Order: sequence, then structure tokens, then C-alpha cells
Amino acid sequence: MISRRHFLSLSLGLTAGALFSGLKFSYGGPLPQFFFAQIRYRGGDWDPNPQFVETIAEELELRTSINIHKDRRILNVSDPDLFFCPFVYLAGKYEFEPFSPQEREILRRFLGFGGFLFAEDTMGAKGFGFDRAFSREIREIFPHHELKRLPPDHSVYRSFYLLDSIGGRQKVNPYLEGITIDNWTPVIYSRNDLSGAWARDRFGKWVNECLPGGELQRALAFKTGINIIVYSLTSDYKKDLVHHPFIKRRQNL
Amino acid sequence: MSLSPITIAPVFSWWLISLLFGMGLGSAMYVYWLIRGRLGRKKALAISFFRLLSIFLLISLALNPSLDVQKELKTSPILRILVDTSQSMGLPGQAGQGSRLDEARRLLLAGSKPLLKSFAERLEVRLYAFGESLGDISPEKLSSLQAAGGKGDLSEALAKLTGKNSLVVLISDGKVKWDGNSSTGLPIITIPVGDEERYKDILIKSVKAPAMAFRGREVTIDVTVKGYGYAGQTLPVVLKEGERLLTVRSVRLEGSPGEGTISLSFTPEEVGQYKLSVSIPLQFGESLASNNTVNLSLKVVRDKIRILMVSGTPSMNYRFMRMAFKNDPSIDLLSFVILRTPSNILNVPLQEQSLIPLPVETLFNKELKNFDLVVFDNFLHRLYFRPDYLESIREFVREGGGLATIGGPNFLGEGGYVGTAIEEILPVRWAGKDGYRQVSSLPVRLSRAGIAHPITRLSPDESDNFRLWREMPPLEGFNLLELKRTGTVLLEGSDGTSRPILTVGTYGKGRVLVLATDDSWKWNMGMVAKRKGNWAYLRFMEKVVRWLTRDPSLESVQIILPETAGAAGQETEFRIRVKESSSSKSRGAVSLSVLSPDGGKIGSRLKPTGQPGDYLGAFLPEKGGIYKVKVETGSRSFEESIPIVGSGEDLDGAPELEQLRKISSATGGKLLAGSDDLLTEISALAEKGQGRFLEERRLALWDNPYVLTLIVALLSAEWFFRRRWGLI
Repeated sequence: MISRRHFLSLSLGLTAGALFSGLKFSYGGPLPQFFFAQIRYRGGDWDPNPQFVETIAEELELRTSINIHKDRRILNVSDPDLFFCPFVYLAGKYEFEPFSPQEREILRRFLGFGGFLFAEDTMGAKGFGFDRAFSREIREIFPHHELKRLPPDHSVYRSFYLLDSIGGRQKVNPYLEGITIDNWTPVIYSRNDLSGAWARDRFGKWVNECLPGGELQRALAFKTGINIIVYSLTSDYKKDLVHHPFIKRRQNL
Repeated sequence: MSLSPITIAPVFSWWLISLLFGMGLGSAMYVYWLIRGRLGRKKALAISFFRLLSIFLLISLALNPSLDVQKELKTSPILRILVDTSQSMGLPGQAGQGSRLDEARRLLLAGSKPLLKSFAERLEVRLYAFGESLGDISPEKLSSLQAAGGKGDLSEALAKLTGKNSLVVLISDGKVKWDGNSSTGLPIITIPVGDEERYKDILIKSVKAPAMAFRGREVTIDVTVKGYGYAGQTLPVVLKEGERLLTVRSVRLEGSPGEGTISLSFTPEEVGQYKLSVSIPLQFGESLASNNTVNLSLKVVRDKIRILMVSGTPSMNYRFMRMAFKNDPSIDLLSFVILRTPSNILNVPLQEQSLIPLPVETLFNKELKNFDLVVFDNFLHRLYFRPDYLESIREFVREGGGLATIGGPNFLGEGGYVGTAIEEILPVRWAGKDGYRQVSSLPVRLSRAGIAHPITRLSPDESDNFRLWREMPPLEGFNLLELKRTGTVLLEGSDGTSRPILTVGTYGKGRVLVLATDDSWKWNMGMVAKRKGNWAYLRFMEKVVRWLTRDPSLESVQIILPETAGAAGQETEFRIRVKESSSSKSRGAVSLSVLSPDGGKIGSRLKPTGQPGDYLGAFLPEKGGIYKVKVETGSRSFEESIPIVGSGEDLDGAPELEQLRKISSATGGKLLAGSDDLLTEISALAEKGQGRFLEERRLALWDNPYVLTLIVALLSAEWFFRRRWGLI
């Protein structure tokens, strides 16, 4: 069964396609301003939560002014379009094959000059599986930077919502990790399986149960996701002095 | 060779003369040997001696002997009278009877037997007018001399008089330049004019102000005031910009002469050239009014470029522009991003959100003037703005602010700007419905104007620049716009339609830019993808900001002023840098004109330094004030103001007796008062200064009749004895 939102999207897409013959998104058309681009890698499981995009996209549209395209783009690291993707997503449960030196160089260039990567270990097993492989790749890509816990005053915790913890399908860490270069964090990493908490099946039911916090934990997962997306588009905007008195006042309420 | 007082200068070489002497000696000995047998030893020796002596005397004439004779002679010095004619000689003289120059005239010409005439009877007298230059004058011209011009340079004047036996008399108020060098050896008799004791004046002795100040930061100007005859008085010192009073402070003068220093401070609120004046109201009895005011020019620049940016939505365009602005330390960015619109749901309490209200009233009605540039990035204003805010922005631009509008789905028509004050100032107009288009690829190219424009000139080499823009990734979203007559397209679509993508224009004193796409961030990542780094994007954004804020570094002409203020009477030089485009039609057509404080055009010169586009300009200011320098290149002109301080004479008119004392003492002269018996004193000094010199004469001995007589006498004696003793 097709949802009303799906139907409308499809209709609009077809209309636009008729108007602009060059439209190629997901099928080779122009890239919209914001969309998820997910990396497909060799080995492991690159797509542990295939149904996460629509829900978080809907929430983003409902709650923020961001215009999001609800289809995700799946690409390899070596895809030339990688550099035009505003939000690159890398997820998995299991260990994956090492990236080639060329792929690592592409990621280093992409992330070093303004690209953004959100990665998550959907299994949440520290030192095993995806976590092990991802940590290995990050060490190779950024040999002089360490994947570190993002401090509580990091802009990602205040880019839209004021967060003191993060949600997810599971609660492995109450915080996010990342690689920070100067004032910008091009890589944010979660072990809580945020996309697992966002995923909904075609009948509208949650795919996964959030443990141990239940629906509150899920709601927090959406807030965390929105904050990460807003951060990817505004950087450390919330660190500007003009925001300080407002944020401080609200944190003290 | 000199055997003082006889000097020998042989006419033959020494060996020949020695040979002749040898032959003479030989012939005498031969004569002796011939006659010794007949006359006996003594008589033969006597005759040989006479022969030897006459031969030696004859041969010694070949040595060309001469006698040096010295004789001491005496001459009286020329009396050279220098009458100071500089500007200060026009100030009151002794007892207020006319000027100091009148006093000098009286000294020389007054009375039944004028001093000048008396001198002329005893000595050779020359009269000079001593001002900025030294010129000899006839006594008749003395009465028509005028006091004008700056201080005379005594060292320079003495250098012209040196080499002659002279006695210099200087009649002056002591306001002369003198480097203390007495090497010319000319004694100077100084006669002061003017009344040092009763001189009354207030003057601004010095003003120390920075050549450049920053907007919004306090500027301090240190003023030193000097007074003669106003001991114990408190005087107001006023700082004005044109007719606008900036600040007033009081200064107290403790002695006479007395000095006091104060600091005047003010905070310039706007950038530009400030014409300032520091003045003290004219006090009763002051000798000189012109030294109560000092004009100065202060260039006020921004310390940082302040940008106010409003983005309609979180976007890659916002993030990359933010990154570019934050990358430039000279930019102070205040940005607001509309994170949620009124149609978005609010599902959590306020304290769980970090959103802040957009302070439109404060920003656009009160604080707008504190920014240099406003950036609207895909901003749908209708939900947040009243029309008067847009009118404020129009006024802001009219008064010199910059406005950049970045395209996207909420721009111009879609953003509700049609018919507003913003649409009026933009160099483009909405092309109609569905103004925002998404296409698979719209490459951009430089327009004809864009080739040379500083915004799109990312590389100094034209062909490199052209290639660079051709390599930029194509756009996928753009706004459909039409160019107004006031606009200049720099980048256009290269799909055959030449759609304006980057358009610039001016409105009032301000500048406006329209970037009709929300895809410009792809110029950053697209070049990174091609392994070419992101410098081109960063430079593009930097140039956008600098052009919109009229940064001098992007101006095609820069007038670089001297670090210190010039002085009247001294040539003032400044540099002119012209950025010449290889395609510029106006290349080489640079002209300079200089306007005096009165607005009249004065002489100036302009010459190339040899470096491309580099020129040296110069002019000779006659008086103090603000001079305007105007450089024209083709159809454009650029202006700068240059402050010139008045000549030193303007500043302090008090007689300087001490200076005259120093001059006479260092040169071996004497300081005399006008009341002294100048004729006797100066005549006595002239007598002492009579020149003594030795006259040297050289008398040749060979053409002396005594020498000839002696030779003849010796030969006659020899003949006489030969005859007597029977040899003849």
C-alpha cells in the first residue's frame, strides 16, 4: 500500500520530471540541497536500517525549515558525486573490507575541505565488527586526529535542540564521538544505532524497540538526528556570541 | 727643487749640465797645464780660476735660478649686511613702533647721518635681503622690502659669501635656520630686532594625531600649547570636525613662555576622511592669530568588516559562506539562520530548544549602520519583516553600505521582494513565475565585464582566470532574472541564454551584488574533487566582500599618502598605484590635479617610477591646510586629502635672541644691540678683520744685468792678467 506522502512525492517528482527533462536524482538527475547519501562498501552489512530515511526526513520537514529530499542516494566512496553530497552516511554492524588507498585519499580530501560524514555502529560492540573497521579507517584517513568524545558544549548538542544526552535504539554511549579539525567536526560517530530508532516499516510501525528507555529514548534519537543534520548545515553557528545568553538562560531554567 | 729663497728649474737635464760643468773644469785645468810653464804656478792658477769661475757662472744659468721674494699686504673686509625679510619680521618690533623689518630699516637709514651711509664712507658695503633665499639689493630698495616667506637658511647664505674677506652683519629677530656650522670662517655680527620681553602670543606648538583611525575606537590627539605673556592663564582648546564640535578641554600655562599638553579624544562613528581642526580662541593682545589653529586630516577606516547575514534555511551555501567569512580574520560575522518557520511544529518546551528570535527591530532599525555589508541568503522576508525594514536596508545601501543577495527558492519573486525597496536597489528584476529553476547542468562563464572585474578576477593572468572559471562545476539550481540597465553581469550561464548568474550594481553610495544560485558552495567542493583545493572559492568570497565594502585593496587606483603631514614650502610626494588590466581601454591615461585649501588648482607633477602602474606624484604647498589630490584614469576619478602644516614661522613668532647670540659666538662675531654705537663697534671689528696676505714674487736671476756684468768682469780680468803677464 502506498502512503499519501509517498503518492504526493511521486506525483510531484513525475510532474517535475516532465518539466525538467534533465532531472536525475536517484536516477541521474540534479542533486537537491539536502539529502542522505549512504556509502556502500565491500564486506560487512552496509545497510543495516534501510527504512530510516523517510521517517527522519518527515520529522526534519515538520520541525525545521530544511528542505529535504526523501530519497537517499547510495554511492561508493569513489563516486565523483560524493563531493556534492551534503550529508554522507556510513553505517554497519560487521567488520568491512578496508578501503583502498585511493578511497581513503578521496575521503581525506572530501572531509578535509568541507564534507561531512555521519557514521554509526548499529551493533554497538566496542572494538568489534563495524566499530573495529571504522576506527581502523579513521586512523588511516586522519593519522593525526583521534576519534574523541564530543564535549557537552559542542555545537552538535545545541544546533537545534538543547541536548545533554543522545538517544538511539540502544544506549551504548550517552554522547557522540567525532574528529574535530579546527572548529569543524567533519566526522560524527554514534554507537547507539540512531537510524535503528528512526526506522519504520511501510505500515508505519517502528521496526525496532528502543532499549532500555523506550519511546523517550526514541524521541531523543530523533532530536539527536535533527541536531546532527542541522550541525552539518550550520557548523558552529550556535557558538556565535549572540546565542550565548539565550542558551545559558534556557539551560538554567 | 728649492733652495729657499732661490729656486732652481734646470732648462737641460741634470746629466747634461753635469757634463758641461765637467767640461768647464777640464778646460780650466787644461789652461792651467798650458800656461803653468811660462807664468809659474801662482799666476797660472789665478788665470785658470777666472776662467773656471766665468765658465761655471755661464753654465749655472742653465739651472735657471730664480729668487723668491715675499711681501705682506693688508685689505679691509667687505661689510655684508643681511636684513632678515622672513614672515616673522612683519610682527611688531621694539615698543610697538612698526614691524621688526621697519626697526631694521630705521637702524640703517634713520638719522641725519644714516648708519648705512657712514659705513659706505669707510668700507665697501653690500646689502642683502635674507629670506628663503639670499639676494643683494641696492640701498634704495631697502625701504620697499616686504616681510614674507619662511625662515632663511643662514648656513646656505654663508656658503654663497664664503671665499671673500667679509664681515657679515645680520639684522634679524633670530628666526633663522642655522646648523651651527662655522666652517665658512666668516664672523657674524648679529643685531636683534623685535621685543622678546613684551612679545605676546598663544600658539599650538604641536599636534600629534595618528594618520589613520578605526571606526568605533577612541582616537586621542595630543596637543601642546605654548604661550608668551599669558602666564597663569587657562585656555580652552577646541577640537572640531568642520563646524561640528567634537570636544573641548582646558590647558593652563604656568610661565612665560609656558607650555601645556592635553589630550583630546573622540570616537569616529563613520569611515571616511575627517577634516579636523584644533584651535584656541584668539586672546587679547596676541601678535599672531594664524598659529591658534591647526588643521589636520584623519582617515577613519574600519577595523573589521562587519557582516550581517540572514539565511532563510540551514544549507550548504550558508555553511560554506560562513566558513569563507570565518576564514578571513578581517571579517566580523553576525549571522542568523531561520531554523524553523511558523509552519513548523514545536513539539518540545522552549527550554529544550536552542532557537532564538531574529531581533529584526534591533538589527534593521537601530544597528544597521554599524554593519558594512548585509547578506540575504535565500531569505523569505515576508514572515519576519515589516516593509520599513526593507526601506532601512535601501537607505543603508544608499549611504554606502553593501548588500549581497544570494539566490535559491526563496529569492526575489518567490521571496516576496517584488515591489519592495529591495527590488528597487537590485541590479536585476524577477523574470516571472517559477523564477527558481533546477536543471541537470548549467555551466557558467565570465562575461565581458567579468573578465576584468576584481570580484571574478581570481588569478592575475587573464587566460588562467578564464580557464579557472571554465573548470568550475556547473550549477543545478538558479534564479531566472532579467538585467536592469544599472546592472553589470560578471558571470552568465553558458547554455546559450547568457542568463545573469552574478550581477553587480551600485545604488547611491553603496554597492549591490546578486548571486542567482544557491549552488555556489559546489565551486568549493567541485574544485576539491578535481584536486585543486578550495582557494578559488575562498578568494571569490573574499573578493565579493571586499568589493561590496569598497575595500581600497580592490580599487583600481590607490593613492598612498606620506606617513607624516607635509609642511608648507616643502615639496610633498605621494605614490599612486594603478591596477591596469591587460584589457583596459584606459590603460596609461592617468592624470593628476591638486587643489589648494581655497579650492584653486595648483601645480603638480606626475611621473612613472618604472614599475608598471606605479607613479610618483608631487606638489609644492605654499601654505598650511588640507589639499585635495585627484587622480583620474579614463572615466573614473579618485580623491584623497593631504594635510599640510603651515611653515614654522606661522607657529612661533617670538624673537629668538639666544639664536643670534649662538650665531655670533660660534662664528667669532659679536651680538650688538640696536642702541649700541654700531658705527664704532663694527668699524673696530672691520679693522680687526683686515685681511693680511703675503705677496710672493719670483725674480729670475739669469736675466739679471749684475750676473752678466760679473761674467764680463771675470772674462775681462782674465784678459787683463793675460795681457799683463805677456800671454797676449
